[in-house]
Amino acid sequence: MSRFFRRRKFCRFTAEGVTEIDYKDLDTLKQYVSETGKIVPSRITGTKAKYQRQLATAVKRARYLALLPYTDAHH
Amino acid sequence: MRHYEVVFMVHPDQSEQVPGMIERYSAVITKDGGTVHRLEDWGRRQLAYHINKIHKAHYVMMNVEATNDAMEELTTTFRYNDAVIRNLVIRRDEAVLEESLLMKAEREDKERKARYQERNDNDARKADAPDSSSDEAAEPAADSEVASEE
Repeated sequence: MSRFFRRRKFCRFTAEGVTEIDYKDLDTLKQYVSETGKIVPSRITGTKAKYQRQLATAVKRARYLALLPYTDAHH
Repeated sequence: MRHYEVVFMVHPDQSEQVPGMIERYSAVITKDGGTVHRLEDWGRRQLAYHINKIHKAHYVMMNVEATNDAMEELTTTFRYNDAVIRNLVIRRDEAVLEESLLMKAEREDKERKARYQERNDNDARKADAPDSSSDEAAEPAADSEVASEE
């Protein structure tokens, strides 16, 4: 067990009552993508499953349209 | 009839053709009894990664209500048009009318930059004419506020 107090994770989308995660909302999506461009797992961010699924499709759509990178290895 | 959201990316060298393309595609949709609910020209944007050695593309988004035939025609024209690099068509439940978040973010960014520029200009003017003591008194206070925020 870690001795440090861990901040409680919470789902931002549940708290805000978001109806749909938009692939055009890059500012939000960027918060859920790691530096290498991977989608951050919900076990780290605390996002609820319903929103994690939406988030994943949104990120993938944004990637297809080259709004977000697939990886940081794009030269 | 169904609601769709269409995004297509045009080769930057063919950017001038975009207004004509929008007109043609809108005609395809409306002639079948459909409507264009929202049309946004995102302009030339930097790509997150290179596509066919291109670094920029001209983005256009349309929210439409259209028949299946019209959409099929639209996607085939996308396929046979070499200027269209990529396209995305997704189904929507209803017409979306408000400004998209991407455009909103961009506009706010621009406004912020304009405000910043304005403030800089004002500061420069104050520096040029330091005759009014009230301005000088206000300036250090403002500076300390900025420092504490950081």
